[in-house]
Amino acid sequence: MNSRHAEPPTDRRLDAKRWSAPARIVVSLLLAWHVVGLLVWPLSVPQSILGDALRPIYRPYLEAAYLTHGYKFFGPDPGPSHLIRYDVARADGSHAQGVFPDRNEHWPRLLYHRHFMLSEFVNSQPPDADVDPRLPWERRPLSAAEQTYVRSYADHLLAANQGQSVSLELVEHLIPEPADVLRGMKLDDQRLYRVRPLGTFTGKMP
Amino acid sequence: MNLVVNYFRELGRATLDGWNRFWFTPADAATLSLIRILAGAMLLYTHLVWTIGLDSFFGPHAWISPDAAAQSARFSLGPELEQVSQADGRQPASYVWSYFWLIESPAALWTVHIAALVVFAMLMLGLASRVVAVLAYLAAVSYVNRLPGALFGLDQTNCMLAMYLMIGPSGAAYSLDRWIAARRAGKRLAAAAPTVSGNIAIRLIQLHMCVIYFFAGLGKLHGETWWRGDALWGAVANLEYQSLDMTWLAGWPLTIAVLTQVTVYWELFFCALVWPRILRPIVLAFAVPLHLGIAFGMGMITFGLAMLIGCLSFVPPWLVRRVFDGAAAREVENKTEARAGQGRGAQGASEAAPVPRRFGAVAARSARVK
Repeated sequence: MNSRHAEPPTDRRLDAKRWSAPARIVVSLLLAWHVVGLLVWPLSVPQSILGDALRPIYRPYLEAAYLTHGYKFFGPDPGPSHLIRYDVARADGSHAQGVFPDRNEHWPRLLYHRHFMLSEFVNSQPPDADVDPRLPWERRPLSAAEQTYVRSYADHLLAANQGQSVSLELVEHLIPEPADVLRGMKLDDQRLYRVRPLGTFTGKMP
Repeated sequence: MNLVVNYFRELGRATLDGWNRFWFTPADAATLSLIRILAGAMLLYTHLVWTIGLDSFFGPHAWISPDAAAQSARFSLGPELEQVSQADGRQPASYVWSYFWLIESPAALWTVHIAALVVFAMLMLGLASRVVAVLAYLAAVSYVNRLPGALFGLDQTNCMLAMYLMIGPSGAAYSLDRWIAARRAGKRLAAAAPTVSGNIAIRLIQLHMCVIYFFAGLGKLHGETWWRGDALWGAVANLEYQSLDMTWLAGWPLTIAVLTQVTVYWELFFCALVWPRILRPIVLAFAVPLHLGIAFGMGMITFGLAMLIGCLSFVPPWLVRRVFDGAAAREVENKTEARAGQGRGAQGASEAAPVPRRFGAVAARSARVK
């Protein structure tokens, strides 16, 4: 007598019969599709041959499901942070100046972080292909993506401050070396900042 | 030759059995329900904060205009966009969607925002759970797709949890749905029966967490500082992130190196080490200081907590019931122990079963002692 049949049924065995074989096959295929899909964007950031092969197949699903993430948190290296400084000029000659993110203005912390991501987002855009890579960061022209976002920020600032024109600059805040901090350097030492002009904008986007 | 054939036959059978056991063993919904409460609370808080900046981020003059948001999906394509554009001069279609693209008036904006907050609150409380789980996911994705540029890991984790809460019966425990059902029945209800869909939802969260950690670790190996061992300094000495001054670590390079390397290796091997039950508590214990460090040291409290909510998927339902159900859970454990005693021939108690036999016996003994 087969001992497997002699065993008293456990909960698990009874429960396994709740889903029919065809149902399990269909769900298994969907699960396999989804689980493989989870790997596609992480394999594509940065670019890889496998990621390039799978992305066209999976893109509709992953975009629709909001699964287009590389999950490279704090990778490849924790780098300097970026802020955007602005100066809005009004018709009456007054100015509204500020920076985002700004801990004094943006509260709670999550809202501060949202503004922080706006400035980081501009910096994270790759330069256009025809840009000379030897150009220093401060003099690099805005890529098409950067222009789109910076123009959008400019329009927001103009509307929020009833401005006529706005000048923006990207401020990079470098990380000091541990040895410098041990020698007394503060994290907001002016030597740790460098500036890249983003342009002056007037009126609405055409 | 027979040896090889037998090996592959056995491998196929074992894979099939393992696959069925992994995905299709019914699970108690206690863990999923706990995740529903916490993820619902996180979604509610995250979107409540949008209320402060609703006009700035979603209004007619938002930081990211609707046009810039629509173009963002195309920019993110990179080389693929170039290939398609060069091939036939057309831009590839975008599958990114958001109901905010249909909204123009401030009144409509406030209406859908308040409706979304109500949905997230209902999810947290477990009211009409199956319906609001779907609505919560649709709302959460609509917000993030309207706002490329203002997002970070929190939004990815929020949407991931909302997605999988749609799949299982997340309101089967610790919910107003359950409380209302008990009121209607006029008696205390027994725990809801384990379900396959509840197990699938938990398994998907578990696998997704493994994917996140693995690629987070792999991405770090791409960088010099993570390999060298001073990456943590880059996080500590970043003034814009800093919420706790830890720059005294400048004089402790070896400590920074150890913390940096432990982070990388923990992330890389999480996907393997979290599955054996004996290692799981240790692996999960490492997640707590890591994410609380991100939460309180770098000011990303929401992100740190959201990742810990995801890690909860690895906590077995029997443990959740022990913590939250007290006496009722011990009753279930005693019954399970009795059943396990009958079915001693069964191989490998499933993780998804209400109480693993060994733990059930221990729990029952401790209940008797008390």
